[in-house]
Amino acid sequence: MTSSPSALVTTSLPRPTSRATRFRRREGWVVAVALLLTGLVFWRYTQIPTFGAFEIRTITAGTMTIALLAMAQAVIVISGGVDLSVGAVMVLTNCVAAKLMEGAGGARVVVITVGVLLMAMAVSGVVGLIIVSSGVPDIVVTLAASFTLAGLALIVLDGPGGGTNTTFQKIFVGDFGQPLPSVLWLAGALVLVWLPFKRSRLGLATYAVGSDRNAAFLSGLNVGRTRVIAYVVGGLFSGLAGVVTTAFTGSGEPRASIGAAATLTSVAAVVLGGVALTGGSGSLVGPLLAAFCLTLIPALMLGLGWDPNYAEVSRGVIIIVVVMIGGLLQAKRRAG
Amino acid sequence: MPAPLLQTSAVAKAFGPVVALRAVDLSVAPGEVHALLGANGAGKSTLVKVLTGVLRPDSGELSVNGDPVLLHRPIDARRKGLAPVYQDPAMIRDLTVEQNLRLTGADLAAVRRELAEMGLDGLDLGEQVRDIPLPFLRMLDLARALAFDPQLLLLDEITAALPPDLSERVFAIMARWKARNRSVLFISHRLDEVRAHCDMCTILRDGRDVASFAPSREGGESQIVAAMLGAASIPVGEARERAAVVARVADQKPRLAVRDLVIDKEHGSVSFEVHAGEILGVVALEGQGQDRLFEMLSGDARAAGGGGEIIVDGEPLRARHPYDAIRRGVVLVPSDRAMALLPQRPIRENIAAPLFNRIARWGPVNARTERNQVHEAVTRLSIDTRAAAQARRLSGGNQQKLTIGRWLAAGFRTLLLFDPTRGIDVGTKHQIYELVRELADTGAAIVMFTSELREIGLVCDRAAVLHNGSIVAEFPATASETDLLTAMHGLAVAR
Repeated sequence: MTSSPSALVTTSLPRPTSRATRFRRREGWVVAVALLLTGLVFWRYTQIPTFGAFEIRTITAGTMTIALLAMAQAVIVISGGVDLSVGAVMVLTNCVAAKLMEGAGGARVVVITVGVLLMAMAVSGVVGLIIVSSGVPDIVVTLAASFTLAGLALIVLDGPGGGTNTTFQKIFVGDFGQPLPSVLWLAGALVLVWLPFKRSRLGLATYAVGSDRNAAFLSGLNVGRTRVIAYVVGGLFSGLAGVVTTAFTGSGEPRASIGAAATLTSVAAVVLGGVALTGGSGSLVGPLLAAFCLTLIPALMLGLGWDPNYAEVSRGVIIIVVVMIGGLLQAKRRAG
Repeated sequence: MPAPLLQTSAVAKAFGPVVALRAVDLSVAPGEVHALLGANGAGKSTLVKVLTGVLRPDSGELSVNGDPVLLHRPIDARRKGLAPVYQDPAMIRDLTVEQNLRLTGADLAAVRRELAEMGLDGLDLGEQVRDIPLPFLRMLDLARALAFDPQLLLLDEITAALPPDLSERVFAIMARWKARNRSVLFISHRLDEVRAHCDMCTILRDGRDVASFAPSREGGESQIVAAMLGAASIPVGEARERAAVVARVADQKPRLAVRDLVIDKEHGSVSFEVHAGEILGVVALEGQGQDRLFEMLSGDARAAGGGGEIIVDGEPLRARHPYDAIRRGVVLVPSDRAMALLPQRPIRENIAAPLFNRIARWGPVNARTERNQVHEAVTRLSIDTRAAAQARRLSGGNQQKLTIGRWLAAGFRTLLLFDPTRGIDVGTKHQIYELVRELADTGAAIVMFTSELREIGLVCDRAAVLHNGSIVAEFPATASETDLLTAMHGLAVAR
C-alpha cells in the first residue's frame, strides 16, 4: 500500500512568500506608526504659527523618558515577560542621581551616571532572577518590586529635591531650541545598544524565548538566563530614563504616582508600537515612535482647546483603535 | 557482540501520582534501526524526553557507548551524539528558519547539504517558520538533527503527518544512517513501517519494557499488538453485516442530508445523506476541503458563505454558532483534542461543560445531577481517571475518549468525528471503534473523516470520497484500499 500512492503523488514545496510580503509583515507596523507620527507632527506644525527648533526640542526632550521606558518595556515583553516596575526603577534612579549629583563637578557626575545605570541594571536583573527562580508570574513579581522600589526612592529623597550639574543637563536634553542631544541619545540607544543586541545570538534567543519557551528549551537554549538578561537590558533603558529625568528637571522627584503612570504609558507604547504582548515579535523602533505619538496627542488636544481630561480619554481611544485595526489586518492575513 | 550505543537500565519517572516510567531497559546497538512501540500512555514520549535531556529520570541509569551519562539539558544529549526530532518541531514560529538554525548552533552548510540530499534544496531558509507547512518543518527539523551528525537519531512519530513520498525520504535517511553504522530510534504507530524498516523493536506497556524482538519475523505484527495490549486481546476483524445496515436504513428519512454544499467556490459542491444507525466514512487526501466541510456541518458559521444546505431531520440547519447545531443534536469531535478540551480543568468539568446548557439555564449547576451523568460517561468509556485533576495530564487516547464522552453525557443524534484515532495506539483505537459502532447501534448517525483507509473496512458502513471540494465517489465498506486511493486522487475507478 505504501509504494503505490507515493508513485502517484509528489508533495510539492510550499511557494515562498514574496519579498514585499516579508517586508510588510516585518516592518509594516513600524511604517504605519511612522506615518501616524508624521501626521501628528504635521498637525502640531499647523497648530503653532512659530513651529521651529524650540517646539521640536519640547517634543523630543519631553518624550525621551517615555521613549526610553517604552524601549525597556519592549525588550522585556519581547522576551515573554512584562515589567510593571520600569517606572519605579526610573524614579529610584532619578532620586539617587539627584541626591548624589547635587553640587558635584564634571568627573564626579560622569561616575555617578555610570553608577546609577549599573544600579538600575542590577535592580532589574535581581527582579528577573526572582521571577525565573521562583516561577512566580512576571506581573506579580514586578508589581511587588514597583512598591518596594518606590519606597526606596522615598527613603533616598523624602520630597522633591537634590540637584544636578547644568552641563550634564545640556548634554542630555540640550538647551531650549536645541533638539539635537535628545534625538542623538535616543538614536544612540537604538543603534549602540539595541541593534547589536538584536543581531547577536543572545538577541535571537530573546525572541525565541518570548515566542515559544518550550521550543527554545528544546533547541538547547538557557531559557532562564536569557530572560534575566532581557530584564538587565530593560533595566539599562529604565536607568537611562531616570538619568534623563534628572537632566530634564534638574532635581529628584520621589512621588510613586509618577512611576506608576510612566509604567502604564510604556505598556501602551509597546502595544501601539507593534510588540505583541504574548512576546516574540516586534522591535524597539515601533515603541520608540509610538512614545512620540502618545506625548503628542495630549499636546494636540490641548492645542484644540480641549479639557486635559478629554485628552487622556482620547489617548486611550487612539490606542484601542490603532491596535484593533492592526488586529483586523492580521486576521485578514490569516484568512487570505 | 559490540557494546550497545545507548543503554538504559531501570529508568523510572513519575509526575506526581502518575507513574510514566516504572523501569525501562532499552538497548540500541550501533548500526541498528530500533523501533520503540507502545500504547498511548505507555511512556514512549517520556522515555524520549529522558533520553534527550528534557526530563531527568527519578532513578535508573543511562549510558552511551558504555559510559554512564547524566543529561541535564537538551544540549547535553546533543553533545553525547543523541539528536531528537520531536513530534512537534522544536522551531520558533516567529523566527526565520535560518535564525532558528543559528540559534541552535547548527552548521548552515551542513543543513543545506542534508536538505539537498532529501531533494528539498528548494526550501527558502529565509522564510518564517510560521509560513512553512508542518510536513516540511519536520523535514527541516530532521535536516537540523542530521547536521549535528549524531550517533543516534531519535525520531518521535516523524511520519505521522508526512505524506507518503516524504516518509519514503525519511526511510532512505534511516537506511543511510544504518549503513554508516549509526543508529536510529524510531517511534511510530504504523506497524507496516516498523516491519519494513526496523531491525529491532522494544515494546513499552505501563512504563515497562515488555518485549524486544525483530519485528520482521513471522507473525511480528500480531506479537507487537499482543505485547502492547497485554492480557486483553482485541477482536480481530469485526464480523458485522455492513450491507445489512445500509439496506435497513436506506429507505428511512435521512438524519443528516447535505445538498450542494459549496466548500470551495472554485470547485464543485458536496451532497450526501446519513441515516440513523449508520456510519459514513469520508476519505480524502490532505487539503481537499475536509476541514471546512466538518466546520460547516458543526455550525461554525465562520466557515460558511458558499451555498447549498444542510438538512437535519428534514429541517434545514442555519447555524450561526456551534451552539445552534448542538441544540439540533449535531456535535463535532475535532481531531485536535486540545481544541475540544479544557486542559487545565478536571475530567468532571470537561464532561459537564456541554451539559451546563441542559441542566442549568440560570443559577448554580446542580452538583448531584452533574456528578451522576459524569460518572456514567466515565464508566462507559473506561477512562483511566488517575489524572482526574487536569485533563491535560491524560494520555492522548484517554483525552480522545474524553472528547467523545463529553457529548455522551450531553446527548446527541448526529456525531461528526474528524480523524478520531489520529496519533492513538492500536488498543485504544479498537476501543474507540467499538464505541463508535455502539453509538451507531443505539441510533446515532455518524459521519467520520479518517486518514486511515483501513478504518473504512473496520468501522464504516459506507465511504464517500472527497476530492477538490466535491464528493467524487461513494463505496461500500468492502471497497479495496486501492479503489479508495484511486478515487481520492480524482481518478475514475473501474467497477
